Amino acid sequence: MKNLKHIWLLLLVLTSSMAFAQVKFEAKVSKTKLGQNERLRVDFTMNKDGDNFESPDFENFQVIGGPNTSVSNSWLNGAHSYAKTYSYFLAPQKQGRFTIKSASIEIQGVTYKTKAVTVQVTNAVKRPNDPYNVESVASENIHLVAEISKGNPYLNEAITVVYKLYVSPNTGVSNWRELENPRYNDFWSQKIDTKGLRIQNGKYKGEDYRYVVLRKTVLYPQKTGKLEIEPLKLDITVEVPTNRRDIFGGMHMAQTNRTVSAGSRTINVKPLPEEGKPDDFTGAVGDFKFNVMTSKSELNASESLRVTVEVTGKGNLKLFQLPKLTLPSSLEVYEPEHNESIRTYLGGMQGSIADGYTIVPQYKGKYPIPSISFTYFDLESETYKRVSSGEIIIDVIEGPVNTSSGDDNLAAANNNKKEVTFNNAQFAFIKTKANLKPIVANNFFKSTAFWSSLLSPFLLIPLALVYRKEKEKRNADVFGNKIRKADKLAKRYLGEAKKALGHKDTFYIALEKALHNYLKAKLQIETSDFSKEKIEEILIEREVNEPTVKEFISILEHCELARYTPITNVEMQQDYEKAASTISIIDKEIQ
Amino acid sequence: MKLILYILVFLFGTASFAQNTAAFSQANALYNDGNYTEALSRYKSILEQEEHSAELYYNIANAHYKLNNVAPSIYYYEKALLLKPNDKEILNNIAYAKNMTIDAIEIIPEVGFSRLINKATNTMVFDNWAKLSVIFVVLFVLLFLMYYFSQSTRKKRLAFVTSLSSLVLAFVALAFAFNSYGLEQKNQPAIVFAQESQIKSEPNLRSAEAFKLHEGTKVQVIDTVSNWSKIKLSDGKTGWVVSNDIKMLKTF
Repeated sequence: MKNLKHIWLLLLVLTSSMAFAQVKFEAKVSKTKLGQNERLRVDFTMNKDGDNFESPDFENFQVIGGPNTSVSNSWLNGAHSYAKTYSYFLAPQKQGRFTIKSASIEIQGVTYKTKAVTVQVTNAVKRPNDPYNVESVASENIHLVAEISKGNPYLNEAITVVYKLYVSPNTGVSNWRELENPRYNDFWSQKIDTKGLRIQNGKYKGEDYRYVVLRKTVLYPQKTGKLEIEPLKLDITVEVPTNRRDIFGGMHMAQTNRTVSAGSRTINVKPLPEEGKPDDFTGAVGDFKFNVMTSKSELNASESLRVTVEVTGKGNLKLFQLPKLTLPSSLEVYEPEHNESIRTYLGGMQGSIADGYTIVPQYKGKYPIPSISFTYFDLESETYKRVSSGEIIIDVIEGPVNTSSGDDNLAAANNNKKEVTFNNAQFAFIKTKANLKPIVANNFFKSTAFWSSLLSPFLLIPLALVYRKEKEKRNADVFGNKIRKADKLAKRYLGEAKKALGHKDTFYIALEKALHNYLKAKLQIETSDFSKEKIEEILIEREVNEPTVKEFISILEHCELARYTPITNVEMQQDYEKAASTISIIDKEIQ
Repeated sequence: MKLILYILVFLFGTASFAQNTAAFSQANALYNDGNYTEALSRYKSILEQEEHSAELYYNIANAHYKLNNVAPSIYYYEKALLLKPNDKEILNNIAYAKNMTIDAIEIIPEVGFSRLINKATNTMVFDNWAKLSVIFVVLFVLLFLMYYFSQSTRKKRLAFVTSLSSLVLAFVALAFAFNSYGLEQKNQPAIVFAQESQIKSEPNLRSAEAFKLHEGTKVQVIDTVSNWSKIKLSDGKTGWVVSNDIKMLKTF
């Protein structure tokens, strides 16, 4: 029995010494699956010292460190252990499954070989570091995040970018400085000052973190399309806990510098809708109120007046033009004074911008300030809105009167010498007399009446010439003249009788009357009551020849006689002609 | 029958005349009370009866001025001035109305010979020039006849010289009448009625804007293409404007 115990013991000792004596040579890789950007450590470990170590050729890997040889001897409870390690640091050159071939060593005359190890190289991983590295700890616990309020704003719509630095509770940041500042090309940007850093608690990807808001910026995109916001890069001094502890049991903090960046972000800027875009739109986007105010509405000439055109509200106040005031040319206007009182909050600009016009009227009268309108794009309703100011009238009560009238008639040249005289310096009252005329005016010029009255006088000249010629002709013709004269006399005195020719009684009465009339006209004596002898006497007195007088008397007698005797038309005609010739002879002879 | 018709026409004519004169004085009373809008409608009713006068246009313009209607007031003052170009009250009040306009336009003065001619031409309207030429023609004919018929040498000589000079004067007056008529035809003033009107460089909407005019400005229309009018300012600028934006002064 005792022997059995000894045998067991001996067996145990023997086998254990056998195990002790066993030579080990093996390859160990730090990981079998790694990213392309990671490092691989390969250790070839043996428990007996050997010679002629031959490393494999590390196909597809680049040896970036090693071989490092380490030897460890340890005695533990009298037992001696020995290890010798050849370490290589490898960087994979490409992706795929690769085999690290066996290495060989000669120990006590025997050649040992390691087993081949297969390693898979995958895509580059984000953190090519191992978790115990200070760097990697820092990278896992510190995050810089850019929060953008709106990814697809309208042109000129305010967006805010807030940069937050998240730090996990067990790490600390002792210092930070900016490496790269985003320049915000294509944006109008305004940094909002953050006074002091306030540490707040928040969550980042579901984990508790502390964070500080490093910076707030308000951006107004000035271009449409995809715009990139450049990253903010910070160099941060990080304190990372290590697993070493100091003498008081506190964690030993390791310091490291780390560059963090809020990745570049792209925002998509929408253009303002073209539909319904007013012509006078100057790019105002937001929510505004528009006012035109005057300091007074009644004043005297050469006093000054202030007209303020003001836009208040929320939006891109600094980024558009105020509508210009159009004023009557007869007002003296000075360059407008631009006032801005704008504060920029996280939501954008707020406040008012105003143009102050100083106006000095020179002349008395009423001056309208025409209504002007301001258009903006309302983000809430996504429509264009127009606000109009009412028309304002400035009444200049007293002052000189404008004597120059601006523009005037072009074609009529009298505008140069126009006597704009002002009999009174007041706006004249209406006229009380109507003097109405029909609107349809007939022009005399170029009318038929005009041409005929212009040309007909010229016809008078040839007429006069003809007339004169005729007259000369007549004057030359003596005999004809006599006849004409007799005719004339007869016509004058015997007209009545001629008319009655054919009616015996009336004819002779008329004839007698005509003869008496003639005498009356010639002698200025009423002869109708005279006797024939008396008439004869008078005529002879006036040197009328005897036979003619006789003839005349005979006609008179015949007239009386004829009333009681039958007379033919032929006789009547003869008497008429006789009377006519006698009258003409008497007319010639009478003195 | 004809006579009766004439009498009727005459009677009706005077009746409507009397009626319009009554409307005129009613409107004047309304104006004096400050009822400018009602006064305006009364005045306009007279115009609808196809009767007008410088005084009527002047009163309409005054009412518009009181109502602060810039373009209409200038329009009617200019109309009144067309009928009575030298009326002092009209010239006085149009200066007030022009204070309300926005555009300041320089006047390029005419120079030299053409200025002299135009100045002389504008001393009378063409109708009067025409009448004058007729008078001179009649004078010429009378004097010529006098020359022709008179006996003494002295009389003959005097009549001849005066008749010839009056013939020359008749032709001069006729020439002025034609010139004045031509100027009158060319003179097509209009007033801008649109509050702000874009003057384009071509008669279409695509073309570039040449300049802007505001209401109340007087322009000359020198050409018309469909609904566009070519206008000229007194400083020589030209451009095209939509015909609706302006109102011609000479359409009575």
